Amino acid sequence: MEPTFRILPVLENKKIGPYHKITLKDVQMYNHAECGNFVMIGLQGFDPYLSRPFSFLEGNRTSFSILMKVKGRGTELLSKVKKGDKLKVLGPLGKIFCPPKKGILIAGGIGIAPVYYQSRWMNGDILFYGAKRKKDLILTREFSDKGFTVRTITEEDEGLVTDLLKEYTDELNGKQIFICGAMGMIKSIKGILNKEQIEKAYVYVEERMGCGLGGCKSCAVKTFEGYRLVCTEGPIFPLKEVKFD
Amino acid sequence: MINLSTKLGSLELQNPVLLASGVWDFPYTKIIDFKRLGGVICKGVSLLPKEGNPPPRITETPCGLVNSIGLENKGFDYFEHEILPDLKKLGTKVFVNIFGESIEEFKEIASKIKEVVGFEVNISCPNVSKGGEKFGKDPKMVFSITKAVCGETDLPVIVKLSPSVENIEETAQAAKEGGAMAVTASNTFPGLVIDLESKGPLFKRITGGLSGPAIKPLALYNVYRIKNAVDIPVIGSGGISDYKDVLEYFIAGASAVQLGSIIFNNPLAPIEILDNLVCWMREKGYKNLKDVNKK
Repeated sequence: MEPTFRILPVLENKKIGPYHKITLKDVQMYNHAECGNFVMIGLQGFDPYLSRPFSFLEGNRTSFSILMKVKGRGTELLSKVKKGDKLKVLGPLGKIFCPPKKGILIAGGIGIAPVYYQSRWMNGDILFYGAKRKKDLILTREFSDKGFTVRTITEEDEGLVTDLLKEYTDELNGKQIFICGAMGMIKSIKGILNKEQIEKAYVYVEERMGCGLGGCKSCAVKTFEGYRLVCTEGPIFPLKEVKFD
Repeated sequence: MINLSTKLGSLELQNPVLLASGVWDFPYTKIIDFKRLGGVICKGVSLLPKEGNPPPRITETPCGLVNSIGLENKGFDYFEHEILPDLKKLGTKVFVNIFGESIEEFKEIASKIKEVVGFEVNISCPNVSKGGEKFGKDPKMVFSITKAVCGETDLPVIVKLSPSVENIEETAQAAKEGGAMAVTASNTFPGLVIDLESKGPLFKRITGGLSGPAIKPLALYNVYRIKNAVDIPVIGSGGISDYKDVLEYFIAGASAVQLGSIIFNNPLAPIEILDNLVCWMREKGYKNLKDVNKK
């Protein structure tokens, strides 16, 4: 589906763990949205001036939702929307990706949203999921219901998602791997995967974005072929191509 | 019938709304009907590829944004083969924004590009180490670059001026004497963004360029100053967000306008502006846009 820019009403703004799940009324987009697609969402007016990129979380024929974490002033303002408020929505955006039926999903924190959206096209395998606290772990039952083995770890109790991966590293062999989380986490994961595993690994990259349509060249990610744009060439990139500081 | 057409020297545009350089790319054609625009200025092209600045490259401020892109582009050869053919198919007037680190580079690019409507000479980017606003601050350099470009092409040449000067009339005059058909007033304003986490500048190059509604009065004043001192058409650029802003720029002396940051805030803004301009003129009894600044 070609992207559109529309004003859509909020159906619900619900707290899930430490996040806000915002559901928008829309009959067009979700049914046509594909893996790799995302949306730019913003408040009407000039405050904040820019929209923010969000992965889809889930949806149906009449609505879709995104998951949001308050990080700064812009997301703080967005987190306060109520039922009936209207938001600017530009999408679907991004380069689409054909997901495997089964594979490994690795998420850190709010990185759970894109991999949950990706699980729409999958019928199970393994989710490795790390968060700060137990109460921050969300959607684990839904992943189990979709046939995923769910392995979780929290910083307050046991350690990082990389510790979890070290323990089960053999489970990753021969499978496509999808990672979404902070760049630091992704870099550490790259450090513990073997060459064959890296070959089959993909990352969801997040970067500050201006337009979502390749116009402003803001969302640059460093790769071994120079800078590439997250909005039109991503957000999913092969792990082996991304260059870390 | 409402007539939105406007003239830049001998060049006629079907309406005054141009998309500025560095804010749009081809995916925008899925949102905006480019045939309705007065024209577009493409992303700056340099002779050799430019990698651009390391991220972060953008942040917002109240009523605007600050960018530090650094003229990322794949160089002239790529432009000629991969971008120019598609630019010609856009169905609107295309101006090619050119950037050089020396007069020779400007000359070489200008001599190689034909079959477009004109050039916009970028001597005002605040986000590069060589060229850019360093050239644009020096009236002698503005004159020399403009003259050199005009010497290489028969196409109309627009010079995009830097706001970081004491007397923008001087650089506008230098562009006119160099042979420019029009000037764009003005580029982004250099500014600093501090990151509280790292307790230092957010951008690796320290400063970025401020744009958006925050700079509108500043850019509007630049248009006014030039119009009252130099006999050259001025394209107003800075913070234009709705049709009223376009009218204000016209009253200040602009002959056309460029939309930039607003298309990040509202990608449909160019079309909404054109529709609302027509509604306003109909309501007020104007038939021609060129009459709106008459008292």
